[in-house]
Amino acid sequence: MKRVAGHFVWAALSVVAALSLAGIALNRGEPINSIWLVLAASCTYLLGFRFYGKFIATKVMALDNDRATPAERLRNGHDFEPTNKWIVFGHHFAAIAGPGPLVGPVLAAQFGYLPGTLWIIIGGVLGGAVQDFVILFSSVRRDGKSLGQMAREEIGKVGGFTALLTVLLIMIILLAVVALVVVNALKGSPWGTFTIAATMPIAVIMGLYLRYWRPGKVLECSLLGFLLVLLSIFGGQWISHSTSLAPLFTFSGVALAVAVIVYGFLASALPVWLLLAPRDYLSTFVKLGVVLMLGVGILFVRPEMQLPAFTRFADGSGPIFAGKIFPFCFITIACGAISGFHSLISSGTTPKMIAKEWHAWPVGYGSMLLESFVAIMAMIAACVLQPGVYFAVNSPAGIVGGTPAAAVATISAWGFPLTAADMAGLAQDVGEHSLFYRTGGAPSLALGMAHIFAKGGGGKAILGFWYHFAIMFEALFILTIIDAGTRVGRFMLQDLLGHVYRPLGRTSWLPGVVLTSAAIVLAWGYFLYQGVLDPLGGINSLWPLFGIANQLLATIALCVATTIFIKMHRSRFMWITCVPLAWLVTVTFTAAGQKLFSSDPRIGFLAQADGLAAALQAGQVAAARVAETQSLIFNARMDAMVCGLFLVLVTTILIDSVRIWVGILRGTREARVTETPFVLSRLRPEEL
Amino acid sequence: MKRLENFFKLVLGILRELGDENAYQRHLALSDRKDSREEWQRFHRGRLQTKYQRAKCC
Repeated sequence: MKRVAGHFVWAALSVVAALSLAGIALNRGEPINSIWLVLAASCTYLLGFRFYGKFIATKVMALDNDRATPAERLRNGHDFEPTNKWIVFGHHFAAIAGPGPLVGPVLAAQFGYLPGTLWIIIGGVLGGAVQDFVILFSSVRRDGKSLGQMAREEIGKVGGFTALLTVLLIMIILLAVVALVVVNALKGSPWGTFTIAATMPIAVIMGLYLRYWRPGKVLECSLLGFLLVLLSIFGGQWISHSTSLAPLFTFSGVALAVAVIVYGFLASALPVWLLLAPRDYLSTFVKLGVVLMLGVGILFVRPEMQLPAFTRFADGSGPIFAGKIFPFCFITIACGAISGFHSLISSGTTPKMIAKEWHAWPVGYGSMLLESFVAIMAMIAACVLQPGVYFAVNSPAGIVGGTPAAAVATISAWGFPLTAADMAGLAQDVGEHSLFYRTGGAPSLALGMAHIFAKGGGGKAILGFWYHFAIMFEALFILTIIDAGTRVGRFMLQDLLGHVYRPLGRTSWLPGVVLTSAAIVLAWGYFLYQGVLDPLGGINSLWPLFGIANQLLATIALCVATTIFIKMHRSRFMWITCVPLAWLVTVTFTAAGQKLFSSDPRIGFLAQADGLAAALQAGQVAAARVAETQSLIFNARMDAMVCGLFLVLVTTILIDSVRIWVGILRGTREARVTETPFVLSRLRPEEL
Repeated sequence: MKRLENFFKLVLGILRELGDENAYQRHLALSDRKDSREEWQRFHRGRLQTKYQRAKCC
C-alpha cells in the first residue's frame, strides 16, 4: 500500500512538473504568476533527485555505505571529520552559493524569463548537479583530493597544470567582475556606500570580540554583528539625508574602483581573524537567512512576472550584453545551472566531512539543485520589475543615452513604456538620487527583492530599507570573496613563482607576500578599472569572459569525471558526463569564437579594437578622448588575448582527455584506477 | 513537538558548523584541553589558515 502511494505521489509530481513547464513555456502575452516557475522548478528538481540522481548513485558510481570514507579513515577532528549529512548539506550549500546564481539570471532576463529559466532547470538537473555529485564522489574515493590533483593523476601532468592555471585566471576575472557589481551598485549612493563602509569597522569589532572578549562564541558574535549592520542601514539613510555628510559618501565609479582595489590589497595583508573571518561568518549567516526569506517571500506574495517570456533582444541586440540567446544565455547563467567553480568546493572541504558514501547523493546532487532554485528565485525577483524599469536600471548610458530623457525615450521605443517621473519616484522611494545606468545586476535584484519584501508587509514606506538591506547582503559577501580570493590567488602565484625563485614561494617572507598580493590585486584591479571606464558598462565584456572561464572549468571537471567513469569500466554510462560536456564545449567555444572574431563591435573584442583604431586613425575622435580611446583599444585586445588563452588551455585538456579515453577504450592504455583501497566502515549512526 | 525540536537542533548544528563552533568542541575533546582564550586563539589560527587557502565560490 505504501509502495502504491509512493508511485502515486511521484506520478502526481511528474504531472505537475509537466503542466507547469508547459504553462511557462507556451504562455505568451499574458503575465504569468511566479508560482508556476516555483512549481516547475521544484517538481523537476524532486524528480531529478529521486530518479536521475539515484540512478547515477546506484548504477554508475555504485555508492557503498560499507566502504569507509576518508572522514572516517583519516579522522583528525580538524579537516577530516565524519559529520551528520544534513550539516554537511548546509555547509556545502553555503560554500557553493555565491553571487553568481543571483546576478547571472538577473542579467539573462534581458532575453525574457523563459530561456534562462529553462536553462537553469534543465542545466541544473542534467549538468550542474551531475558535475558536483560525480566530482564529490571521486574526491571521496581518493582521500579528499582536489580537482587539480585528480586531473594530474587521472589525465596527466599537462591536465593538472592546465587546471591550476585556469583556476588562477578564472579567479582574476571573477574578482574583477564581482568588484564591478559592487562598484556599480554603490556609485553615487551615499546610503549604500556608508552601509558597506560601516561593515568594515563592524567586522573588526566582531574580530576583537571573538578573539579577546568572548572567544569561540561565533554565533553570539555574528548576531551582534548583524544588529550593528542593521543599525548601519538606518545610519546610511540618515547620512543620505544630511546635506553636509552625504557628499562625503558619494563617489564616482572610478573613485569606488580605486577604493575597492586599495581595500583588496590591505585586507589581504591583514590578519584573517581581524576582518576576513568575522565578516565571512556574518555574510554566510546573512546569505542563508536572506535566501530563505526570499523563498518565503515569493511563496507568500506570489508576484506576477512583468517581463515577457521572450523580449526583442533574443536577436542579440540586448542592451545589457550583446549576443544571441545561443550561446550567451548559457554562459551568462553559470552558477545556478552548471558552474565549474563548484568542482573546487566538491573536491575541497566537503569530501573530508562525508561520513557515508550515500551522503554524497543529497550533499553533491541535492545542494546543487537548491542552488539552482536560488537562481530561479533571482530570475523571479528580476522579472517582477516593470520591463522599462528593469532595462533603465541595467542598461549603460552608452546604449540608451546619457540623460534620463534620452534613456526613457530609447527604452520606450523598444516597447517598454517608461517615464522619467516613474524612475524619479522609484529612486526617491528607495532613497537614491537616480536608478539609471546601474549596470551589474545587483541593483535590479535588490529592487526586485525589495518589491517582494515590501509587498509582504510595510509597503512603500520600507522599500528603501529593503533595497539597501539587499544591497548590503550582496556587497557583504562579494567583499568577502574579494578578500579571500586575493589571498588564494596570492598563494597560487607564490606556489608557481616558488619554482622560479624559492623565497617567493615562502608565505612567511614579507617581500614575497607584498609582491604577489600586489600582482594579484593589480591583475583583477586592471580588469575592474577597464570595466568602470567601458562606455558599454563593463558587464558587456567582463561577464561573458567570466562565464566562458567558469564553463571551461566545468569542462575540465567533466573531462576528469568522464575519465574516471571509463577507468571504472562504466564507459556505457559515459553519456551522463559526456552530454553536458559536449553541450558546454559547443556553448563555450561558440561564445569564445564570437567574442574573439564577431564583426559586431559590441560582441567581438577584436572588431571593437579595430573599429576604435580606425576611428582614431581617421581623426574622428576628439583630442580630449584620444588617450581614453587608446586605452579602450588596449583593453579590448587584452580581453581577446585572455579569451584566446582560455580556449587554448581547455583545448589542451580536452585533447589530452580524449587521447586517454580512446587509449583505454581501444585497450592500448591501462585503465589504472587511483581509488584508495576498500576498508570496511565501522562508523555507527549514533556517532554522527 | 519532538520533530520540531530535532529540526531546530539540526539548524543550530548547521549554524555551529558554519561558525566553526562544532570544530572547536571537537578540537577540545580530541586534544583533551579546556576552553580558554589562548586555546581558542590557537585553534582558530590553524582553522583559518586552512580555510582561507581555498577559493570561495562564485
